[in-house]
Amino acid sequence: MLLLLLLLRFSGAGVRMKGGLRLVVLLMLSVESSSLSPPGKPVLLGCRSPEKETFTCWWKPGLDGGLPTVHRLYYEREQLEGTHECPDYRSAGSNSCFFDKNHTYIWVDYHVMVEASNALGNVPSDPLKFDVMEIVRPYAPENVTLMVEEKQESPYLHIRWKHPSNTVSRSGWITIKYQLRVKQENSNDWKNYTSGTQMGFSLYSIHPGAVYEVQVRCTLDHSSWSEWSNTTFVKIPNYLQNERPFGILVSIFSTIPVVAALCVLVTKRKYVKRFLLPPVPGPKIRGVDVQLLKSGKSEDVLGALIVNQNFPPMVARKDQMEEYLIVSDGGEWLLPAPLKSQKKKKSSFIPAGFHLDSQCKESTPSQVQENKDEMKSSSNLEQKQEFSGINFAAADLQKGASENFMQRLPNSGYVDIQRQENIVEVDGILVDYSRVKEVNGDNVFILQKENVPLSLDVQRREESMSEDYSRVKEVNGDNVVLLQKQNGSDDSFCTEKGNRYTHCTNQTQRNPHMTGLSKIGVCTDLSSDGYVDTIPAPSLI
Amino acid sequence: MRQSARLQTILDLTAVDAAPLCTNAQAGCHVLSLANLFDRVIQHSARMHGISNDLHSEFELYFLPSKNQIGRVSRNCHTSSILTPNGKENAQRMAREELTEVILKLLVAWRDPLWHFHQSMAHHHDFNNFSSNKSLEMSDMVHELRKGVQKVVEKMQMLGIISNSVSNLASPEALLASDSAEWRLMKDYDLLYCFRRDSNKVQNYLKILKCRIVPEHGC
Repeated sequence: MLLLLLLLRFSGAGVRMKGGLRLVVLLMLSVESSSLSPPGKPVLLGCRSPEKETFTCWWKPGLDGGLPTVHRLYYEREQLEGTHECPDYRSAGSNSCFFDKNHTYIWVDYHVMVEASNALGNVPSDPLKFDVMEIVRPYAPENVTLMVEEKQESPYLHIRWKHPSNTVSRSGWITIKYQLRVKQENSNDWKNYTSGTQMGFSLYSIHPGAVYEVQVRCTLDHSSWSEWSNTTFVKIPNYLQNERPFGILVSIFSTIPVVAALCVLVTKRKYVKRFLLPPVPGPKIRGVDVQLLKSGKSEDVLGALIVNQNFPPMVARKDQMEEYLIVSDGGEWLLPAPLKSQKKKKSSFIPAGFHLDSQCKESTPSQVQENKDEMKSSSNLEQKQEFSGINFAAADLQKGASENFMQRLPNSGYVDIQRQENIVEVDGILVDYSRVKEVNGDNVFILQKENVPLSLDVQRREESMSEDYSRVKEVNGDNVVLLQKQNGSDDSFCTEKGNRYTHCTNQTQRNPHMTGLSKIGVCTDLSSDGYVDTIPAPSLI
Repeated sequence: MRQSARLQTILDLTAVDAAPLCTNAQAGCHVLSLANLFDRVIQHSARMHGISNDLHSEFELYFLPSKNQIGRVSRNCHTSSILTPNGKENAQRMAREELTEVILKLLVAWRDPLWHFHQSMAHHHDFNNFSSNKSLEMSDMVHELRKGVQKVVEKMQMLGIISNSVSNLASPEALLASDSAEWRLMKDYDLLYCFRRDSNKVQNYLKILKCRIVPEHGC
């Protein structure tokens, strides 16, 4: 540095020095002073044509090198002779070169490079070869507007935008196609939609209350896609107030009469109920309290029934005069149900005219079950069982010897009935019996309904002295019948073994009223078919 | 198959003539069908350009030619002799008949080269069947597009939009004139590059033509 200065001084002192030498000296000074170097290699960043009519190239300069550096762009073009320099360095900003319409040729190859030059040298960049057709890339669409609209009470988002500002597409030279993407504010999933050449789009699947972001981009024919437009936000209102006062009014006014009708119905519910559900006529059982039936227990019910019917207590029955066995075929006891059904048992409580008098038919359960001809009998037997049930209950009430009774019944097949109505008054004495009309099978009596003539009457018989009948006092087992003497007070017990009378054990007093026939003992001879024949015993008196 | 669909599209152009969209032969009716014809050929050319673009990209993947070779540009497409407008204004300034002729010349010029290109592709086992199918499709499309544009020209001449000076480029003489042997010297990659460019030209020229002749229908 000092040497140079000295050189200059001496040269200045000397006779005229050449300017060039001076310059060289100065340069050497500057170089020595700050390590100057030729510029760094610039880099061509790229070129872009936004509308297929002009294009711009950008570069990045290299290191400065300490000296003022100038960058120049040179290009060569197909169908053009020579190398040319950039026509416009300014319009597109610094470090750029803008080719206007006059300098832009499509479908021809360009060969572009940038050269950085300073005092110390020129450094070219790597060249770029392209066809303008290849570097077309539009700018992003502009003025993206979002509007929430409503169609048929459902909200939708209407998105509108404008084409990029520098493009004019009326001549058919370019065809812009758009693409948009939408996402909710909080999520990261963009949904892409293609809009074609339309500059509007309707998005229907939106959620009220959410915030949406929308971006749009476009392409020119087959070019690269533009950048995404600036994000536009929109908030969907949470509840869209539908202006439907008329509909609301109509609905309000239509509910008023409905409510009024309901009130009327509630206040008059009894009448309504009566109208809609007419009351079923209750059971009319003579002497039976329906309420008691509904509410009471079975014993109370049965007690009510039995009280009405005035059953004599079971216990006392043994002491009293035995009733004759009276059975008849009763049509009114017909029940179509099979024997075993419990239901029928209950229902037969109900029918009107529930008479416990004698119109019953006796039969064994097993015999009549299947036979339809004997449906009657089955029903009657059931009736008998009902009776037994009743009697059983009555016996329970009275705490009588119900077990005996029960035991007796199934084996013997006799029906012991206490009844009242069919008591026939014969000669001032109430007797209740009826003549056996028919016998079905082994142990079914069908009695005549009408009052039997007095021939069965013991007293009459005794007066007529034609036939001998005795009243059955007691039945022991299958084939033992204990007859009562007429007087009733004293019994003659005849036991029978097998089918025939064996002996008499007692003698009976005779009725003082009785004349004529003096029977001491009356014994029976039970034949197999159930008839009771008396064999006059030798008089003991 | 796409191919058959394309064939159908072009053949439908004749059907449009036979059974136009409108029943009565009014002037407005004919204009509408012309716009329809234009739309179809433009669609067809867009499709063709798309395929050529794809094939070119695939070639670049396979062969990786240096794009940034230092030196003058020396692209020698065999269609360079055809004078084509290189910009929007140039294309708009060109007469309709001239522009139409340019289109037809281009399409005619590429018929044979593409066919031979497809043949050479079929023999190359480097390429997959997809590329081979594309080259065949491309070859067919050029053929069909030419026929379609021919129909459009006839329609325009019938309507009096253009004069009858547009020569019938399907004639053997025309074919012979444009059918030079230059393309045989081209390499496959260059051929694809040239065709990509020319198909883009055809598409743009057709669009310009449409918006000049029937501007009210989607321009």
